[in-house]
Amino acid sequence: MDKLGVFLCTGCGIGDALAVDEVIGAATEKGCAATLTHGCLCAPEGLAAIRGAVSEHGLNGILLAACSDRAKTREFAPLSSEVPAVFRTAIREHCTWSHPADGEGQTAEDTTMLAQDLVRMGLARLNGMKQIVPLHEEIADTVLVVGSGRAGLEAALTAARLGKPVLLVEEASELGGQLAHQVSIPPEEPPYDAPIPNPVPGLIAEVKADDRIRVYTDTTIAKITGQPGQFKLTLSGPEAAEMTIGAIVQATGAKPYDAKNLGHLGYGTSADIVTSQDFEAMLSAGAIVRPSDGKKPHRIAFIQCAGSRDDNHLRYCSSECCVNTLRQVAEVKKLEPSIESAVIYRDIRAPGHMEHFFVGVQKTAEMMMTRGDVDKIEANGKLSIHLSNSLLGDRVQIQADLVVLAVGMVPQSADGELIRELIDSRHQAEHSESSQVRATSAKRADELKHHDGTEILHLGYRQGPDLPTLKYGFPDSHFICFPYETRRTGIYAAGTVHAPMDSAQAAEDGLGAAMKAVQCIEMAKRGEAVHPRAGDTAYPDFFLQRCTQCKRCTEECPFGTLNEDKKGTPEFNPLRCRRCGICMGACPERIISFQDYSVHMVAEMIKSMSIPEDYEEKPRILALMCENDAVPALEAAAANGATWNPWTRIIPIRCLGSTNIVWIAEALSAGVDGVILVGCKYGDDYQCHYVRGSELANTRLGNVGETLQRLALEPERIKVVELSHDEFDRVPRVLDEFSAELEAMGPNPLKGF
Amino acid sequence: MASIPIVESTDLRAEFFERGGENAAKCYQCATCSSVCELAPADAPFPRRQILLAQWGLFDQLMGDPAVWLCHQCNDCSVRCPRDVAPGDIMASLRAMVVEKLAFPGALGSLVGNVRKTWPLLVLGPILFWAALIGITTGFGEVETHHGLQPGPTMGQYFYDALVPHSLIYAVNFAAVGFVCLVLLVSGSRFWKMMGDRQTRRGSFVGSLIGVVTDIALHRKFASCERGVPSRRWGHFMVMWGFVGAAVASGFAVVFLYADTPPFSWFFALPFFEDIGYPVPITHWNKWLANISAVLLVVGGIMLFANRLKKGDKLVGQTTAFDRFFLWLVLSVIATGVLTEFSRYLVADPSVGFAVYVIHLGVVLSLFLTLPYSKFAHIFYRSLAMVHQRMTST
Repeated sequence: MDKLGVFLCTGCGIGDALAVDEVIGAATEKGCAATLTHGCLCAPEGLAAIRGAVSEHGLNGILLAACSDRAKTREFAPLSSEVPAVFRTAIREHCTWSHPADGEGQTAEDTTMLAQDLVRMGLARLNGMKQIVPLHEEIADTVLVVGSGRAGLEAALTAARLGKPVLLVEEASELGGQLAHQVSIPPEEPPYDAPIPNPVPGLIAEVKADDRIRVYTDTTIAKITGQPGQFKLTLSGPEAAEMTIGAIVQATGAKPYDAKNLGHLGYGTSADIVTSQDFEAMLSAGAIVRPSDGKKPHRIAFIQCAGSRDDNHLRYCSSECCVNTLRQVAEVKKLEPSIESAVIYRDIRAPGHMEHFFVGVQKTAEMMMTRGDVDKIEANGKLSIHLSNSLLGDRVQIQADLVVLAVGMVPQSADGELIRELIDSRHQAEHSESSQVRATSAKRADELKHHDGTEILHLGYRQGPDLPTLKYGFPDSHFICFPYETRRTGIYAAGTVHAPMDSAQAAEDGLGAAMKAVQCIEMAKRGEAVHPRAGDTAYPDFFLQRCTQCKRCTEECPFGTLNEDKKGTPEFNPLRCRRCGICMGACPERIISFQDYSVHMVAEMIKSMSIPEDYEEKPRILALMCENDAVPALEAAAANGATWNPWTRIIPIRCLGSTNIVWIAEALSAGVDGVILVGCKYGDDYQCHYVRGSELANTRLGNVGETLQRLALEPERIKVVELSHDEFDRVPRVLDEFSAELEAMGPNPLKGF
Repeated sequence: MASIPIVESTDLRAEFFERGGENAAKCYQCATCSSVCELAPADAPFPRRQILLAQWGLFDQLMGDPAVWLCHQCNDCSVRCPRDVAPGDIMASLRAMVVEKLAFPGALGSLVGNVRKTWPLLVLGPILFWAALIGITTGFGEVETHHGLQPGPTMGQYFYDALVPHSLIYAVNFAAVGFVCLVLLVSGSRFWKMMGDRQTRRGSFVGSLIGVVTDIALHRKFASCERGVPSRRWGHFMVMWGFVGAAVASGFAVVFLYADTPPFSWFFALPFFEDIGYPVPITHWNKWLANISAVLLVVGGIMLFANRLKKGDKLVGQTTAFDRFFLWLVLSVIATGVLTEFSRYLVADPSVGFAVYVIHLGVVLSLFLTLPYSKFAHIFYRSLAMVHQRMTST
């Protein structure tokens, strides 16, 4: 943009802390077409003043130097549709609130210099910004639901009720999934004290009666290519079909953990040791008998955590087996009141309303319970359960006639990324020129071969044919912040494939995922990003003439946005994109740019900072901060009266993963004394909105250290800090500690060159 | 180390659940009860463990468990229990079960244990026995009393020994007491051995016994655990001391009766013991002792009874047939005893007084005979358990 205006708000104490004329002066020096100060920019008068200046001077870019872009969004948002480029710099939070002129260690001069730099950086950003032209693609309305358990059925019905055509695909010959033949389910409404009838048969009837839902049984997915709104689906089954769909809900459920692995609990040594699923079949048949002799058992022992929370089996808690056992105990009492039920648990997990159910079952069923570790179960006519660490005594045996193992659930997912690795390894093992690579690839392919044939969605994605899985094979994303998202835009996991859950949660999950799927279709129609930059219409542009086919972007994108052609040139699918800029940070050729965010724009912002040569008084520090967690934390700190050194210049960035190494180089060669990057926590319990952004940034910066040493610069001049959204109290400490470390190191030797 | 097979008794479990223990199945072992209990020793807290054992039907482990008796049922635990298990009630039901299962002979234990059905026999039996005995011996006719005194305002309008000679009372009641002592010796030694098998006793028996008697005399355990029902503590205190006073007064009455017979004659060398003949007038100090005891018994009895009327109050707990039988028996003894005395002064017709007196003798006999099998046995088992605890903790 070339005709820029700067609008400085002097309200909220901004005007009192600054030499307003000098800040405006900095803007004028940069050749702005218009400058304006106003006591309350967000008031109707202020907005009218902005609009007046825009039309008077024909401005095509405006800088609102006022509050954070998290504040007063309703007031300022309409400007974005009136002016081609709008940029907001948070003078209030980043400068005046956190650097009051009368604050300790602060001077009006430093505060004004900070505000001047913020204005200069904002103008530099606006200079590079281009008008956003949203995508307008043809978007299919149909929602594909894969799997017809409770989550799938609820998802199909929800999408249909929201007016979308639905395809419900089921691999088995009948609908219903794991719950299809269960006699009852745990209660879902007050008083929550007794099992309720299984709702699945009713849901199946409802789905079959709904003419907006097309049901395909005995059918699997042969292929899905394309992007949200435009997925090309090929089905394989009795009615082979090809069609275009908008979004996908994967509700493929979970299967019970294979009890054959539970030899230590005697499974296989006696016909009278069965799983909860085997026992459920007895309950459905209405006859509780010992499989060995067909006699009615006197006592049934339920063993909880059979192969769960166990390093040798499933390491996690499946969260519903305890309540399921309580339900089975209640059913036993109903069917055969004379049979005793004993429950051996590690700790009964009956969360939320299920506590009432636990109480209800205890009241009616007269069951026996004890904590205890099962050492072994011996079968000789009766079953003898050897317990240690039990409440009944350290090492005791108790007798039962039938043992029910409450096994956990294993998600019916496929690990897309590992399948891709398997394919790549096989290819390398055959085609690599190096015999060493051929050997290691062959070995890796052998390690991964159990993933062969596990594909479910058969996605035509560079990064693999299925959703990437996180812990324990569940294709979860961030379960608190965005529970339905997977790492593939427009594909939502729901039900027990998503995370271990009970029937009620699966229903809710199916409903939520279907709503996300519908939202995805609607936003795709408007060319908007769905998540987490919901509503963003900008998307990256690839200047492919300069692409060197290094494949970094295609490999590093956490969302599989990019495919590759045969040569390895990226093929961009904008509707899959989440706009994080991780590809932009990865690209060594810097050919990936958004209309409003690019390597060039941020580099220009860095270059626009004024770097005083007199280090002793005025060091300069660049802080690149994640706009999702670190910047809100910083602004919360400012709002709470925290202050920090006036030498740090903060540039909010979309994700630490979008950090291009060029920015660090630019900053250090400009004479900045140090660069601090503040991003989200990464690792197993990551908090990154883009899953891997902060981790990737850390890896990239690890490689930069050597380069710095070659330039005779200390690697400690670059620092990466993990900070979560709620740690606002740490912000001043983090910034001031880095400032003190730099002071100890002395000035950047490149300053002034 | 091999694991120990644990022996469960499903039949007993069903019986226990029927007799007020069914709430044990609601327990989920949070141990709130053990945490709030003021009486539970830190190294062997109760009642969580006892409830678990009851839930599983492991009564073998509970028979010789002193904890069952250390509980004074203040019901703090029942108030705090998040599952409405009412651990205080469970412990009470366990005590009933222990009394029944340790009883000798077992058949009598079951007879009283099954009191919900057998109570008419247990009460009417002794009354009819007395009626029959009197019918056979004196034919309900007046017999000559050996003292030859005349009734009067301080003496009452008639004498009961004119209907029932003292010798008859000795014959029946001394036999009953002898039987009770024998039975308690058998049951008590079983119980004592069971506790000893679980935990070695070290301290001195006599020393511990003195401590326990002091504790009981002052109701110290009640004092340390009582929260919401002071009437239970004081009611129990009065009834206990009322019985003690009545027993002492009865003993002295015998002394006065045989003032001229060795070995009692030496008493009359002591101050206050002058030979005033028999019956003693109502103004005599021994009568005062007896009447004060009667007042304690009546007031205490009413307090305990009123307490039990508070249905649904967790601090009171449930009242099982076992509780009810003992309470009514005690109240009957008190009521008939007091009425027996009043009749003599207030009702001219001796047949009313004599009828009340026969009933009184009957319920007293019932109280004696059922002592080892009814809730009354707590006086014995709890004392032993408290002695055991003192001997193991010193």
